[in-house]
Amino acid sequence: MDKSTIVCRCEEINIDEIENALKNGAQTFDDIKRLTRTGMGSCQSKVCLHPVREIIADYHNKDLQDVGISRMRIPLKPIRMGTLATESKDSNVASVFGESVEEGDENR
Amino acid sequence: MKTDLLIIGAGPAGINAALTADAAGAEVILVDESLQPGGQLRQQTQLFSNLPKNKKKTRGTSLNNHLVESLNASNVKVLSNHAMVGSYLNGNIGVTDGFKTFEIHAKKYILATGAQEEGKIFPGWTLPGVMTAGAAQILINRELVLPGKNAVIVGSNDFAFEVIKQLRICGVSIKAVVEDKDQLQSEKQDLLSDLGNITFLTNSTIELASGSGEVEHVSIRTPSGIKELEADFICISNGFTPILEPFEVMNCKFTYKEILGGWLPAYNMNFQTTNSNCYLAGSAAGITTLGPILLTGEIAAWSVLEELEFISPREAHNQKKECWEELMTLENNNVFQKRTEIIADSLLQDNWNPKSYFTELQGGQIHG
Ligand SMILES: Cc1cc2nc3c(=O)[nH]c(=O)nc-3n(C[C@H](O)[C@H](O)[C@H](O)COP(=O)(O)OP(=O)(O)OC[C@H]3O[C@@H](n4cnc5c(N)ncnc54)[C@H](O)[C@@H]3O)c2cc1C
Ligand code: FES
Repeated sequence: MDKSTIVCRCEEINIDEIENALKNGAQTFDDIKRLTRTGMGSCQSKVCLHPVREIIADYHNKDLQDVGISRMRIPLKPIRMGTLATESKDSNVASVFGESVEEGDENR
Repeated sequence: MKTDLLIIGAGPAGINAALTADAAGAEVILVDESLQPGGQLRQQTQLFSNLPKNKKKTRGTSLNNHLVESLNASNVKVLSNHAMVGSYLNGNIGVTDGFKTFEIHAKKYILATGAQEEGKIFPGWTLPGVMTAGAAQILINRELVLPGKNAVIVGSNDFAFEVIKQLRICGVSIKAVVEDKDQLQSEKQDLLSDLGNITFLTNSTIELASGSGEVEHVSIRTPSGIKELEADFICISNGFTPILEPFEVMNCKFTYKEILGGWLPAYNMNFQTTNSNCYLAGSAAGITTLGPILLTGEIAAWSVLEELEFISPREAHNQKKECWEELMTLENNNVFQKRTEIIADSLLQDNWNPKSYFTELQGGQIHG
Protein backbone atom coordinates (compact mmCIF):
# COMPACT_ATOMS: atom_id res chain seq x y z
CA MET A 1 0.00 0.00 0.00
CA ASP A 2 1.16 3.55 -0.68
CA LYS A 3 3.25 4.60 2.34
CA SER A 4 1.63 8.02 2.45
CA THR A 5 -1.74 6.43 3.29
CA ILE A 6 -3.10 7.92 6.52
CA VAL A 7 -3.52 5.44 9.37
CA CYS A 8 -4.46 7.71 12.30
CA ARG A 9 -6.84 10.26 10.86
CA CYS A 10 -7.22 12.34 14.01
CA GLU A 11 -3.48 13.04 14.20
CA GLU A 12 -2.77 12.63 10.45
CA ILE A 13 -0.09 9.98 10.81
CA ASN A 14 0.72 7.84 7.77
CA ILE A 15 2.11 4.34 7.26
CA ASP A 16 5.62 5.67 6.66
CA GLU A 17 5.73 7.44 10.02
CA ILE A 18 4.51 4.35 11.83
CA GLU A 19 7.04 2.13 10.09
CA ASN A 20 9.71 4.64 11.01
CA ALA A 21 8.77 4.30 14.66
CA LEU A 22 8.96 0.51 14.29
CA LYS A 23 12.41 0.78 12.70
CA ASN A 24 13.45 2.86 15.69
CA GLY A 25 12.54 0.04 18.04
CA ALA A 26 8.83 0.48 18.76
CA GLN A 27 7.28 -2.82 19.82
CA THR A 28 3.79 -1.93 21.04
CA PHE A 29 0.94 0.39 20.13
CA ASP A 30 1.88 2.58 23.08
CA ASP A 31 5.49 2.86 21.87
CA ILE A 32 4.22 4.11 18.51
CA LYS A 33 1.82 6.41 20.30
CA ARG A 34 4.61 8.01 22.33
CA LEU A 35 6.84 8.43 19.29
CA THR A 36 4.28 9.73 16.79
CA ARG A 37 1.05 10.83 18.59
CA THR A 38 -0.83 8.03 16.81
CA GLY A 39 -3.94 7.30 18.86
CA MET A 40 -3.83 10.55 20.82
CA GLY A 41 -6.53 12.24 18.76
CA SER A 42 -10.11 13.02 19.58
CA CYS A 43 -11.31 9.46 18.94
CA GLN A 44 -8.63 8.16 21.32
CA SER A 45 -7.57 5.39 18.91
CA LYS A 46 -11.06 3.98 18.31
CA VAL A 47 -10.40 4.21 14.57
CA CYS A 48 -6.65 3.57 14.28
CA LEU A 49 -6.03 0.90 16.91
CA HIS A 50 -6.80 -2.01 14.63
CA PRO A 51 -4.94 -0.86 11.50
CA VAL A 52 -1.91 0.02 13.63
CA ARG A 53 -1.99 -3.42 15.25
CA GLU A 54 -2.03 -4.95 11.76
CA ILE A 55 1.03 -2.93 10.75
CA ILE A 56 2.84 -4.00 13.95
CA ALA A 57 1.91 -7.65 13.34
CA ASP A 58 3.22 -7.45 9.76
CA TYR A 59 6.42 -5.70 10.73
CA HIS A 60 7.31 -8.00 13.62
CA ASN A 61 5.93 -11.06 11.84
CA LYS A 62 3.50 -11.80 14.68
CA ASP A 63 -0.04 -13.11 14.86
CA LEU A 64 -2.59 -10.36 15.41
CA GLN A 65 -3.54 -11.92 18.74
CA ASP A 66 0.00 -11.40 19.99
CA VAL A 67 -0.22 -7.67 19.41
CA GLY A 68 -1.78 -6.03 22.46
CA ILE A 69 -4.00 -3.02 22.75
CA SER A 70 -3.22 0.47 23.99
CA ARG A 71 -3.39 1.53 27.61
CA MET A 72 -6.74 3.29 27.93
CA ARG A 73 -7.11 6.11 30.41
CA ILE A 74 -9.72 8.36 31.90
CA PRO A 75 -11.49 10.48 30.84
CA LEU A 76 -13.10 7.98 28.48
CA LYS A 77 -14.83 10.75 26.53
CA PRO A 78 -13.64 14.23 25.55
CA ILE A 79 -14.64 16.48 28.45
CA ARG A 80 -13.93 20.04 29.54
CA MET A 81 -11.44 20.37 32.40
CA GLY A 82 -13.99 22.53 34.22
CA THR A 83 -16.57 19.78 33.94
CA LEU A 84 -14.15 17.17 35.16
CA ALA A 85 -13.19 19.25 38.16
CA THR A 86 -16.72 19.84 39.49
CA GLU A 87 -17.34 18.47 42.96
CA SER A 88 -13.61 17.98 43.36
CA LYS A 89 -14.10 17.51 47.08
CA ASP A 90 -14.99 13.98 46.07
CA SER A 91 -12.09 11.96 44.78
CA ASN A 92 -12.22 13.44 41.25
CA VAL A 93 -8.83 15.01 41.01
CA ALA A 94 -7.29 12.36 43.21
CA SER A 95 -8.44 9.73 40.79
CA VAL A 96 -6.80 11.41 37.84
CA PHE A 97 -3.51 11.58 39.66
CA GLY A 98 -4.02 8.28 41.39
CA GLU A 99 -4.42 6.57 38.10
CA SER A 100 -1.39 8.06 36.48
CA VAL A 101 0.95 6.68 39.15
CA GLU A 102 -0.82 3.37 39.35
CA GLU A 103 1.26 0.26 39.77
CA GLY A 104 1.28 -2.46 37.18
CA ASP A 105 1.21 0.07 34.35
CA GLU A 106 3.08 -2.36 32.19
CA ASN A 107 3.58 -1.88 28.47
CA ARG A 108 1.26 -3.95 26.40
CA MET B 1 -25.67 9.16 44.05
CA LYS B 2 -26.22 5.65 45.42
CA THR B 3 -28.01 2.59 44.10
CA ASP B 4 -28.05 -1.21 44.21
CA LEU B 5 -27.14 -1.68 40.56
CA LEU B 6 -25.64 0.76 38.07
CA ILE B 7 -25.79 -0.28 34.42
CA ILE B 8 -23.75 1.57 31.79
CA GLY B 9 -25.20 1.29 28.29
CA ALA B 10 -28.91 1.25 27.41
CA GLY B 11 -28.72 -1.04 24.39
CA PRO B 12 -30.77 -4.26 24.29
CA ALA B 13 -28.39 -5.96 26.76
CA GLY B 14 -28.38 -3.13 29.30
CA ILE B 15 -32.15 -2.60 29.10
CA ASN B 16 -32.90 -6.30 29.49
CA ALA B 17 -30.58 -6.48 32.50
CA ALA B 18 -32.24 -3.39 34.00
CA LEU B 19 -35.77 -4.79 33.52
CA THR B 20 -34.82 -8.14 35.07
CA ALA B 21 -33.23 -6.52 38.13
CA ASP B 22 -36.04 -3.99 38.54
CA ALA B 23 -38.74 -6.67 38.43
CA ALA B 24 -37.01 -8.45 41.32
CA GLY B 25 -37.06 -5.27 43.42
CA ALA B 26 -33.52 -3.95 43.04
CA GLU B 27 -32.90 -0.23 42.72
CA VAL B 28 -31.40 0.35 39.25
CA ILE B 29 -29.79 3.32 37.52
CA LEU B 30 -29.24 2.98 33.75
CA VAL B 31 -26.80 5.44 32.18
CA ASP B 32 -26.39 6.08 28.45
CA GLU B 33 -24.53 8.78 26.62
CA SER B 34 -27.15 8.96 23.85
CA LEU B 35 -30.26 11.10 24.05
CA GLN B 36 -32.49 8.05 23.71
CA PRO B 37 -32.15 4.50 24.99
CA GLY B 38 -31.92 1.56 22.57
CA GLY B 39 -28.25 1.50 21.56
CA GLN B 40 -27.54 0.05 18.14
CA LEU B 41 -30.96 -1.60 18.02
CA ARG B 42 -32.47 1.76 17.15
CA GLN B 43 -31.53 1.48 13.48
CA GLN B 44 -31.92 -2.26 12.96
CA THR B 45 -34.96 -2.46 10.70
CA GLN B 46 -34.33 -6.07 9.67
CA LEU B 47 -36.44 -8.97 10.93
CA PHE B 48 -34.99 -11.04 13.77
CA SER B 49 -36.02 -14.59 14.55
CA ASN B 50 -34.12 -16.74 17.05
CA LEU B 51 -35.20 -14.61 20.00
CA PRO B 52 -35.41 -15.96 23.56
CA LYS B 53 -38.55 -17.03 25.45
CA ASN B 54 -40.38 -17.84 22.23
CA LYS B 55 -40.62 -14.17 21.31
CA LYS B 56 -42.02 -14.07 17.81
CA LYS B 57 -40.12 -12.84 14.80
CA THR B 58 -39.91 -9.07 14.93
CA ARG B 59 -38.07 -6.08 13.50
CA GLY B 60 -35.18 -4.78 15.59
CA THR B 61 -36.80 -1.37 15.74
CA SER B 62 -40.13 -2.79 17.03
CA LEU B 63 -38.34 -4.82 19.66
CA ASN B 64 -36.52 -1.65 20.64
CA ASN B 65 -39.80 0.25 21.02
CA HIS B 66 -41.11 -2.56 23.15
CA LEU B 67 -38.00 -2.56 25.39
CA VAL B 68 -38.10 1.21 25.80
CA GLU B 69 -41.82 1.14 26.67
CA SER B 70 -41.18 -1.49 29.34
CA LEU B 71 -38.33 0.64 30.63
CA ASN B 72 -40.58 3.68 30.88
CA ALA B 73 -43.17 1.65 32.76
CA SER B 74 -40.57 0.35 35.24
CA ASN B 75 -38.90 1.94 38.27
CA VAL B 76 -35.51 2.02 36.57
CA LYS B 77 -33.93 5.46 36.80
CA VAL B 78 -32.71 6.23 33.27
CA LEU B 79 -29.99 8.85 32.88
CA SER B 80 -29.84 9.55 29.14
CA ASN B 81 -27.26 11.99 27.79
CA HIS B 82 -24.90 10.93 30.58
CA ALA B 83 -21.54 9.36 29.79
CA MET B 84 -19.31 7.25 31.96
CA VAL B 85 -15.96 9.05 31.94
CA GLY B 86 -13.96 7.09 34.44
CA SER B 87 -13.71 5.41 37.78
CA TYR B 88 -12.63 6.66 41.18
CA LEU B 89 -10.03 5.21 43.48
CA ASN B 90 -12.87 3.99 45.70
CA GLY B 91 -14.28 1.97 42.78
CA ASN B 92 -17.24 4.27 42.07
CA ILE B 93 -18.07 5.22 38.49
CA GLY B 94 -17.75 8.83 37.32
CA VAL B 95 -20.55 10.10 35.10
CA THR B 96 -20.97 13.42 33.32
CA ASP B 97 -23.85 15.23 31.64
CA GLY B 98 -21.44 17.66 29.98
CA PHE B 99 -21.79 20.27 32.74
CA LYS B 100 -20.86 18.47 35.89
CA THR B 101 -19.13 15.23 36.78
CA PHE B 102 -20.39 13.19 39.69
CA GLU B 103 -19.83 9.76 41.15
CA ILE B 104 -22.32 6.97 41.43
CA HIS B 105 -21.79 4.39 44.11
CA ALA B 106 -23.49 1.09 43.39
CA LYS B 107 -23.26 -2.24 45.12
CA LYS B 108 -22.79 -3.85 41.70
CA TYR B 109 -22.11 -2.64 38.17
CA ILE B 110 -23.05 -4.07 34.79
CA LEU B 111 -21.14 -2.64 31.83
CA ALA B 112 -23.16 -3.15 28.64
CA THR B 113 -21.33 -0.64 26.49
CA GLY B 114 -21.56 -2.59 23.25
CA ALA B 115 -19.24 -2.88 20.30
CA GLN B 116 -17.62 -0.63 17.76
CA GLU B 117 -16.89 -1.27 14.10
CA GLU B 118 -13.46 -2.07 12.73
CA GLY B 119 -12.35 0.24 9.96
CA LYS B 120 -10.10 -0.59 7.05
CA ILE B 121 -7.47 1.62 5.53
CA PHE B 122 -6.62 2.18 1.86
CA PRO B 123 -5.31 5.21 -0.02
CA GLY B 124 -8.13 7.74 0.07
CA TRP B 125 -10.11 6.24 2.97
CA THR B 126 -10.21 9.58 4.78
CA LEU B 127 -12.21 11.25 1.98
CA PRO B 128 -15.81 12.24 2.72
CA GLY B 129 -18.02 9.48 1.30
CA VAL B 130 -16.09 6.65 2.96
CA MET B 131 -17.89 5.26 6.00
CA THR B 132 -18.55 2.02 7.85
CA ALA B 133 -21.60 -0.10 7.09
CA GLY B 134 -23.01 0.74 10.53
CA ALA B 135 -22.70 4.45 9.82
CA ALA B 136 -24.55 4.00 6.52
CA GLN B 137 -27.26 2.06 8.35
CA ILE B 138 -27.64 4.82 10.94
CA LEU B 139 -27.89 7.43 8.16
CA ILE B 140 -30.66 5.67 6.25
CA ASN B 141 -32.70 4.18 9.08
CA ARG B 142 -32.29 6.68 11.88
CA GLU B 143 -31.39 10.00 10.30
CA LEU B 144 -33.25 9.42 7.01
CA VAL B 145 -30.31 10.68 4.97
CA LEU B 146 -29.08 8.94 1.82
CA PRO B 147 -25.30 8.46 2.06
CA GLY B 148 -24.85 8.40 -1.72
CA LYS B 149 -26.20 7.04 -4.99
CA ASN B 150 -23.51 4.64 -6.19
CA ALA B 151 -21.82 2.48 -3.59
CA VAL B 152 -18.79 0.24 -3.42
CA ILE B 153 -18.98 -2.18 -0.51
CA VAL B 154 -15.77 -3.39 1.14
CA GLY B 155 -16.21 -6.71 2.91
CA SER B 156 -18.74 -9.51 2.47
CA ASN B 157 -19.79 -10.60 5.97
CA ASP B 158 -23.43 -11.01 7.07
CA PHE B 159 -23.65 -7.39 8.12
CA ALA B 160 -22.43 -6.20 4.68
CA PHE B 161 -25.30 -8.03 3.00
CA GLU B 162 -27.82 -6.86 5.59
CA VAL B 163 -26.84 -3.27 4.84
CA ILE B 164 -26.69 -3.84 1.06
CA LYS B 165 -30.27 -5.03 1.22
CA GLN B 166 -31.35 -1.94 3.14
CA LEU B 167 -29.39 0.42 0.86
CA ARG B 168 -31.00 -1.08 -2.22
CA ILE B 169 -34.46 -0.59 -0.77
CA CYS B 170 -33.50 3.09 -0.51
CA GLY B 171 -32.54 3.14 -4.19
CA VAL B 172 -28.74 3.03 -3.82
CA SER B 173 -26.99 1.27 -6.68
CA ILE B 174 -24.34 -1.25 -5.57
CA LYS B 175 -21.43 -1.01 -8.05
CA ALA B 176 -19.34 -3.80 -6.54
CA VAL B 177 -18.63 -5.83 -3.43
CA VAL B 178 -14.86 -5.98 -2.81
CA GLU B 179 -13.53 -8.85 -0.69
CA ASP B 180 -9.83 -9.45 -0.06
CA LYS B 181 -10.30 -13.15 0.75
CA ASP B 182 -10.86 -15.74 -1.97
CA GLN B 183 -14.55 -16.20 -1.26
CA LEU B 184 -17.53 -14.30 0.15
CA GLN B 185 -17.61 -14.41 3.96
CA SER B 186 -21.36 -14.54 4.59
CA GLU B 187 -22.93 -17.97 4.59
CA LYS B 188 -26.47 -16.78 5.14
CA GLN B 189 -28.33 -18.04 2.09
CA ASP B 190 -31.41 -15.94 2.82
CA LEU B 191 -29.27 -12.82 2.56
CA LEU B 192 -27.35 -13.91 -0.52
CA SER B 193 -30.23 -15.31 -2.55
CA ASP B 194 -32.19 -12.16 -3.40
CA LEU B 195 -29.30 -9.86 -4.26
CA GLY B 196 -29.67 -9.97 -8.04
CA ASN B 197 -26.82 -9.04 -10.32
CA ILE B 198 -24.18 -7.52 -8.08
CA THR B 199 -20.52 -7.62 -9.14
CA PHE B 200 -18.52 -9.59 -6.57
CA LEU B 201 -14.76 -9.05 -6.66
CA THR B 202 -12.93 -11.57 -4.49
CA ASN B 203 -9.15 -11.55 -3.91
CA SER B 204 -9.48 -7.82 -4.47
CA THR B 205 -8.61 -4.63 -2.60
CA ILE B 206 -9.15 -0.92 -3.09
CA GLU B 207 -6.07 0.55 -4.72
CA LEU B 208 -7.24 4.15 -4.50
CA ALA B 209 -10.33 6.18 -3.73
CA SER B 210 -10.12 9.65 -5.26
CA GLY B 211 -12.11 12.73 -6.15
CA SER B 212 -12.08 16.44 -5.50
CA GLY B 213 -13.08 16.83 -1.87
CA GLU B 214 -15.13 13.62 -1.84
CA VAL B 215 -15.17 10.12 -3.27
CA GLU B 216 -15.78 10.10 -7.06
CA HIS B 217 -13.63 7.29 -8.45
CA VAL B 218 -12.59 3.97 -7.03
CA SER B 219 -9.73 1.88 -8.43
CA ILE B 220 -9.87 -1.75 -7.40
CA ARG B 221 -7.00 -4.22 -7.72
CA THR B 222 -8.46 -7.53 -8.86
CA PRO B 223 -6.71 -10.74 -10.00
CA SER B 224 -7.51 -9.72 -13.59
CA GLY B 225 -6.09 -6.20 -13.32
CA ILE B 226 -7.25 -2.81 -12.12
CA LYS B 227 -10.97 -2.10 -12.33
CA GLU B 228 -12.13 1.53 -12.36
CA LEU B 229 -15.56 2.48 -11.02
CA GLU B 230 -17.49 5.70 -10.59
CA ALA B 231 -18.92 5.78 -7.07
CA ASP B 232 -19.73 8.50 -4.55
CA PHE B 233 -19.77 6.31 -1.51
CA ILE B 234 -17.65 3.48 -0.06
CA CYS B 235 -19.08 1.38 2.70
CA ILE B 236 -16.70 -0.68 4.87
CA SER B 237 -17.96 -3.76 6.67
CA ASN B 238 -15.01 -5.19 8.54
CA GLY B 239 -16.69 -6.60 11.61
CA PHE B 240 -17.21 -5.48 15.20
CA THR B 241 -15.04 -5.45 18.28
CA PRO B 242 -16.10 -4.98 21.94
CA ILE B 243 -15.56 -1.51 23.43
CA LEU B 244 -12.86 -1.97 26.08
CA GLU B 245 -12.12 1.38 27.75
CA PRO B 246 -14.78 1.20 30.47
CA PHE B 247 -13.45 -2.21 31.49
CA GLU B 248 -9.86 -1.06 31.58
CA VAL B 249 -10.65 1.78 33.98
CA MET B 250 -12.55 -0.73 36.14
CA ASN B 251 -9.38 -2.87 36.25
CA CYS B 252 -10.86 -5.84 34.41
CA LYS B 253 -8.51 -8.30 32.71
CA PHE B 254 -8.80 -9.01 28.99
CA THR B 255 -8.56 -12.11 26.87
CA TYR B 256 -8.43 -12.72 23.11
CA LYS B 257 -10.92 -14.68 20.99
CA GLU B 258 -10.94 -13.78 17.33
CA ILE B 259 -14.46 -15.00 16.61
CA LEU B 260 -15.86 -12.96 19.53
CA GLY B 261 -14.33 -9.78 18.11
CA GLY B 262 -10.68 -9.98 19.24
CA TRP B 263 -9.76 -8.55 22.64
CA LEU B 264 -12.56 -8.65 25.21
CA PRO B 265 -12.97 -8.70 29.00
CA ALA B 266 -12.53 -12.08 30.67
CA TYR B 267 -15.61 -13.33 32.53
CA ASN B 268 -17.11 -16.32 34.29
CA MET B 269 -20.47 -18.06 33.88
CA ASN B 270 -22.17 -15.31 35.88
CA PHE B 271 -20.91 -12.73 33.40
CA GLN B 272 -18.78 -11.38 36.22
CA THR B 273 -15.45 -9.85 35.18
CA THR B 274 -12.19 -10.20 37.10
CA ASN B 275 -13.35 -7.18 39.13
CA SER B 276 -15.87 -8.96 41.34
CA ASN B 277 -18.21 -5.93 41.56
CA CYS B 278 -18.30 -5.51 37.83
CA TYR B 279 -20.40 -7.62 35.45
CA LEU B 280 -20.87 -7.32 31.69
CA ALA B 281 -23.48 -8.08 29.05
CA GLY B 282 -24.22 -7.84 25.35
CA SER B 283 -21.69 -7.24 22.60
CA ALA B 284 -19.13 -6.26 25.26
CA ALA B 285 -19.03 -9.96 26.18
CA GLY B 286 -18.40 -11.02 22.57
CA ILE B 287 -19.90 -10.28 19.16
CA THR B 288 -23.01 -12.37 18.64
CA THR B 289 -26.65 -12.05 17.55
CA LEU B 290 -29.63 -10.34 19.17
CA GLY B 291 -31.14 -13.35 21.01
CA PRO B 292 -27.93 -14.14 22.90
CA ILE B 293 -27.36 -10.41 23.56
CA LEU B 294 -30.68 -10.23 25.43
CA LEU B 295 -29.88 -13.42 27.36
CA THR B 296 -26.45 -12.25 28.52
CA GLY B 297 -28.12 -9.18 30.01
CA GLU B 298 -30.54 -11.39 31.86
CA ILE B 299 -27.85 -13.75 33.19
CA ALA B 300 -25.77 -10.82 34.45
CA ALA B 301 -28.85 -9.42 36.21
CA TRP B 302 -29.77 -12.75 37.87
CA SER B 303 -26.18 -13.05 39.09
CA VAL B 304 -26.27 -9.58 40.63
CA LEU B 305 -29.68 -10.28 42.19
CA GLU B 306 -28.27 -13.42 43.77
CA GLU B 307 -25.20 -11.63 45.12
CA LEU B 308 -27.37 -8.87 46.61
CA GLU B 309 -29.77 -11.49 48.02
CA PHE B 310 -32.86 -10.29 46.20
CA ILE B 311 -33.39 -13.89 45.12
CA SER B 312 -32.39 -17.20 46.65
CA PRO B 313 -29.41 -19.17 45.33
CA ARG B 314 -31.91 -21.84 44.27
CA GLU B 315 -33.92 -19.43 42.15
CA ALA B 316 -30.78 -17.86 40.70
CA HIS B 317 -29.53 -21.28 39.75
CA ASN B 318 -32.76 -22.15 37.96
CA GLN B 319 -33.06 -18.84 36.14
CA LYS B 320 -29.47 -18.84 34.98
CA LYS B 321 -29.59 -22.46 33.95
CA GLU B 322 -32.64 -21.76 31.81
CA CYS B 323 -30.92 -18.76 30.18
CA TRP B 324 -27.73 -20.71 29.51
CA GLU B 325 -29.69 -23.52 27.90
CA GLU B 326 -31.44 -21.06 25.61
CA LEU B 327 -28.16 -19.32 24.89
CA MET B 328 -26.65 -22.60 23.84
CA THR B 329 -29.46 -23.28 21.38
CA LEU B 330 -29.78 -19.75 19.99
CA GLU B 331 -26.11 -18.93 19.56
CA ASN B 332 -23.93 -19.88 16.63
CA ASN B 333 -22.00 -23.01 17.66
CA ASN B 334 -18.53 -21.62 17.09
CA VAL B 335 -19.32 -18.46 19.01
CA PHE B 336 -20.78 -20.42 21.93
CA GLN B 337 -17.75 -22.70 21.92
CA LYS B 338 -15.38 -19.74 22.33
CA ARG B 339 -17.56 -18.27 25.06
CA THR B 340 -17.27 -21.54 26.97
CA GLU B 341 -13.49 -21.39 26.54
CA ILE B 342 -13.42 -18.00 28.26
CA ILE B 343 -15.52 -19.43 31.06
CA ALA B 344 -13.39 -22.55 31.29
CA ASP B 345 -10.35 -20.28 31.77
CA SER B 346 -12.21 -18.49 34.57
CA LEU B 347 -12.70 -21.82 36.35
CA LEU B 348 -8.94 -22.04 36.76
CA GLN B 349 -8.94 -18.82 38.79
CA ASP B 350 -9.20 -19.27 42.56
CA ASN B 351 -11.75 -16.57 43.17
CA TRP B 352 -14.21 -17.93 40.63
CA ASN B 353 -16.06 -21.01 41.77
CA PRO B 354 -17.42 -23.45 39.26
CA LYS B 355 -21.18 -23.77 39.48
CA SER B 356 -22.71 -27.11 38.78
CA TYR B 357 -25.15 -26.00 36.07
CA PHE B 358 -22.34 -25.08 33.76
CA THR B 359 -20.64 -28.44 34.06
CA GLU B 360 -24.04 -30.08 33.62
CA LEU B 361 -24.59 -28.08 30.43
CA GLN B 362 -21.32 -29.23 28.99
CA GLY B 363 -22.12 -32.84 29.83
CA GLY B 364 -19.41 -32.72 32.46
CA GLN B 365 -16.92 -31.58 29.85
CA ILE B 366 -15.16 -28.27 30.21
CA HIS B 367 -13.47 -27.08 27.05
CA GLY B 368 -10.38 -24.98 26.79
C1 LIG C 1 -22.98 0.83 14.09
C2 LIG C 1 -23.41 -0.55 14.49
C3 LIG C 1 -24.42 -1.20 13.78
C4 LIG C 1 -24.83 -2.48 14.13
N1 LIG C 1 -25.80 -3.08 13.40
C5 LIG C 1 -26.16 -4.36 13.68
C6 LIG C 1 -27.15 -5.05 12.91
O1 LIG C 1 -27.70 -4.50 11.95
N2 LIG C 1 -27.50 -6.31 13.24
C7 LIG C 1 -26.92 -6.93 14.31
O2 LIG C 1 -27.27 -8.08 14.61
N3 LIG C 1 -25.97 -6.31 15.05
C8 LIG C 1 -25.58 -5.06 14.76
N4 LIG C 1 -24.62 -4.43 15.51
C9 LIG C 1 -24.02 -5.16 16.64
C10 LIG C 1 -24.60 -4.59 17.93
O3 LIG C 1 -23.50 -4.56 18.78
C11 LIG C 1 -25.74 -5.47 18.49
O4 LIG C 1 -26.75 -5.63 17.54
C12 LIG C 1 -26.45 -4.89 19.74
O5 LIG C 1 -26.95 -3.58 19.54
C13 LIG C 1 -25.54 -4.92 20.92
O6 LIG C 1 -26.29 -4.61 22.07
P1 LIG C 1 -25.61 -4.06 23.37
O7 LIG C 1 -26.71 -3.76 24.30
O8 LIG C 1 -24.54 -4.99 23.79
O9 LIG C 1 -24.83 -2.74 22.89
P2 LIG C 1 -25.34 -1.41 22.13
O10 LIG C 1 -26.62 -1.60 21.44
O11 LIG C 1 -24.16 -0.97 21.33
O12 LIG C 1 -25.55 -0.39 23.33
C14 LIG C 1 -24.49 0.11 24.09
C15 LIG C 1 -24.91 1.43 24.67
O13 LIG C 1 -23.89 1.86 25.56
C16 LIG C 1 -23.74 3.23 25.46
N5 LIG C 1 -22.40 3.57 25.92
C17 LIG C 1 -21.20 3.08 25.48
N6 LIG C 1 -20.18 3.62 26.17
C18 LIG C 1 -20.74 4.46 27.08
C19 LIG C 1 -20.21 5.32 28.09
N7 LIG C 1 -18.89 5.41 28.34
N8 LIG C 1 -21.08 6.05 28.83
C20 LIG C 1 -22.43 5.97 28.62
N9 LIG C 1 -22.98 5.18 27.68
C21 LIG C 1 -22.15 4.44 26.92
C22 LIG C 1 -23.98 3.55 24.00
O14 LIG C 1 -24.42 4.87 23.83
C23 LIG C 1 -25.07 2.54 23.64
O15 LIG C 1 -26.35 3.08 23.71
C24 LIG C 1 -24.22 -3.14 15.20
C25 LIG C 1 -23.21 -2.49 15.93
C26 LIG C 1 -22.80 -1.22 15.58
C27 LIG C 1 -21.68 -0.56 16.35
S1 FES D 1 -7.70 7.81 14.35
FE1 FES D 1 -6.02 7.72 15.66
S2 FES D 1 -6.70 8.82 17.40
FE2 FES D 1 -8.41 8.88 16.09
